[in-house]
Amino acid sequence: MTLTTPLMVALPLICAVLIQAFGAQRRRRRIARISIGGAALTWLLSLMLLVSVLGNGPGTPTTIGPLVLLADPLGALLALMVSSIGLLVRVYSVRYMAQEPGYARFFTLLELMSAALLALVAAGDLITLAVSWHLIGVLLYFLLGQDTRSQSAYRYAAWTLITHRFGDLPLVLAAALLFHAYGSWSLPQIFAQMNAQPTAPTVFNLPLPEVVGALIALSAFARSAQCLLHTWLPYSMAGPTPVSALMHAGIVNAGGLLLNRFAPLFAHTNEVLFWVFAMGLVTAVIGSVLMLTQHDIKRSLGYSTMGQMGFMIMECGVGAFSLAIYHLIAHGLFKATLFLRSGSVIGDARKQDRVPKDALYTFVVERRPARAPLPRLPISMATLVLPLLVLLPAHWLITGTVFHPQGAVVLLFFGWVTGAQLIYATDRLRLHTPWRAMAAVFIAFLVAVPGYLFISHALAAWLYPDPALQTDLYAAAGMDAAWFMTLMSVISILMVCGWLFIYHTGQRPAGHHRRRGRHWLHRHGYALISAQRGTINIGYDALGRRLIAAANRLNVWLRWR
Amino acid sequence: MEILIVAPLLPLFPLSMVYTTLFGRLTHPWARAALLLFWPQAGLLALAQTDANLADGVVVWALASALLYALRALALREAGLWIAFMAVSCWTLLWLFAATPAPRSLLHWQALGLSAPLVLLTVLNANIARRFGAAYAGVSPALAHCAPKLAGILTLTVLAAVATPLFPGFFILFALVMHTAPTTPWAAVAIASVWLLWSWSGARLIQGLVVGPAGSTPLNDLGAASLWAYGIGLTALGLAGILLAGALL
Repeated sequence: MTLTTPLMVALPLICAVLIQAFGAQRRRRRIARISIGGAALTWLLSLMLLVSVLGNGPGTPTTIGPLVLLADPLGALLALMVSSIGLLVRVYSVRYMAQEPGYARFFTLLELMSAALLALVAAGDLITLAVSWHLIGVLLYFLLGQDTRSQSAYRYAAWTLITHRFGDLPLVLAAALLFHAYGSWSLPQIFAQMNAQPTAPTVFNLPLPEVVGALIALSAFARSAQCLLHTWLPYSMAGPTPVSALMHAGIVNAGGLLLNRFAPLFAHTNEVLFWVFAMGLVTAVIGSVLMLTQHDIKRSLGYSTMGQMGFMIMECGVGAFSLAIYHLIAHGLFKATLFLRSGSVIGDARKQDRVPKDALYTFVVERRPARAPLPRLPISMATLVLPLLVLLPAHWLITGTVFHPQGAVVLLFFGWVTGAQLIYATDRLRLHTPWRAMAAVFIAFLVAVPGYLFISHALAAWLYPDPALQTDLYAAAGMDAAWFMTLMSVISILMVCGWLFIYHTGQRPAGHHRRRGRHWLHRHGYALISAQRGTINIGYDALGRRLIAAANRLNVWLRWR
Repeated sequence: MEILIVAPLLPLFPLSMVYTTLFGRLTHPWARAALLLFWPQAGLLALAQTDANLADGVVVWALASALLYALRALALREAGLWIAFMAVSCWTLLWLFAATPAPRSLLHWQALGLSAPLVLLTVLNANIARRFGAAYAGVSPALAHCAPKLAGILTLTVLAAVATPLFPGFFILFALVMHTAPTTPWAAVAIASVWLLWSWSGARLIQGLVVGPAGSTPLNDLGAASLWAYGIGLTALGLAGILLAGALL
């Protein structure tokens, strides 16, 4: 195992050198062979690493120059995920990029990105972590700007680079503070010292874990496209589709990895996790709302990623760190599939749009009777009660508790909302076989919820075998009981009001005269939300332009000296 | 008073204008390269002679100068001037190192680590100007199409200049943040801001010189010997970065 991790990181680097040395632009087949062969070997090595960690436990750190690589459960699991997505993306790119210029450059960058990602997940010290974290941002800039003829692609790539660099710097500051306090770059040593010291050192009259935790969280927010730092994500679609897949399935998840890597530090914090939760919640809501207003499939997927990242960060914020890892793996796999399929979906839609027909169209054109709505009361009851009937017993069976800890309650609440929304949305589809669809939804829920809970519970036991750490994380994420109940009640009321509003809107016959205020809300509300996606970008753009104009004025004033 | 003797050499604004004027007057690339290599070394020698304790005011002055030139570099389109401004922004940070408890013997190596990518960039700048008339962002033809190898080397050199890992600049700035963050957090934040501005201006320079529609300019790329020479230079820089990391961190 000592050699497996360094080899796994080195192999893509060797492939990058081989592609540059032997893969002239016209020898595309050779480039593809080197890249896919290397990716397959890397995947095998990552699998061997996972099996080894599963069998023998964490290995000893390996030092190569200034870098230290670690073979622990978190690193091994994510290395397998990174290498799997990397292999898929390379296989897909062989044909997708066949007609594009810069074939060798593209595969070289993919190899380098793969090495940087693997070094990140296996980073055993702060220097390796900072180096790989920084390099990922730089490499992504060039991958997004693969089309060197497109100024707009580079403009958005530059936004991505600046946002990522903004996120790199808090990590460097956090590393400096940790080294100063504990005299070591090694992550396991720092955490061991942190646990050994009953009172945390202070910095600027604040407990060190709070300050460092806040800096780490800020880095994670920038990389995982959290609200106000999210603009790079949906606007970076000018890059090739395989890069979008890699970005949405792998790179954007790095925030979750970073928070998990520093989980032992967050166990010593008091306030930070609440703000992590709040940021995740806001991002999840805004990302999901913006996703619903998009007409472009790739941009819609982009905002969907933003919403999912918000949820992942929120999971860390409630103390369920291992659940965030499960979430990022599941999201990575399905989002990579969706991106790689997006081109075919557009092609299919040109032949048949598959937009559900409304009742009038079905009745007049297809000459089929409009389906009668399902009885309202049973459906409303099912919407509210069925998810709870699955969630609560499943949680009790797996964890032995129902309403403990607070983090679990928050996640159960979200599970309930999601389940209810799913049943409600299925009912609104006006399908011709409504009862069968409802039964399918219920069975899917019955399988997915216990599966989700079981896997996340098993993952928690493997990633964080020390039960005290898990308890400390939930305790650090906890908030005052009264505040907690108030917050949950307010959100519940908002959700129910939202459902009632949509129900009321759906019941009104077509052409029904609307009140002026409500009409305005429907028309302008949608326009406002659709436009909102660009408002923040415009703000940043204006800020950037002003800064450059100020620099220009300074240069003129100082006569370019 | 002693500080004022060193200030033009480890250029603090406005005395930095002595250096930028001189750099602008020199047209030969090797003369510029020599200036880039020896100017900060002379400054460090002068600083060692003064044996003065650096007051907080000097640190603030140095940081303000670094920020000012990093900001001004954002608006530059001419690669030669960009090199001159980046050099000022880099070298003023050496004052901060001199103020930390870090061993002063390393300062000369740090100056060399910060200057070396700019020396390479000066030679490249001359190469581009000779082939295409000027190295002017947005005006020169898009190098990615008419000289892809030159574009690749230029991109890597700009990355080295803006302190990207594993080049020396990255570890030098990392060490600087490490020394300043626990005692003077505002200075660490300012250094981080300078670093961010460097990356931004580097990206703008790359975008201006490398990216653009494929023009009608015939291919006029680097030869194999030049490519090897630049490649060896960049590899040496990368290795120097790793060695410097061992000494600094």
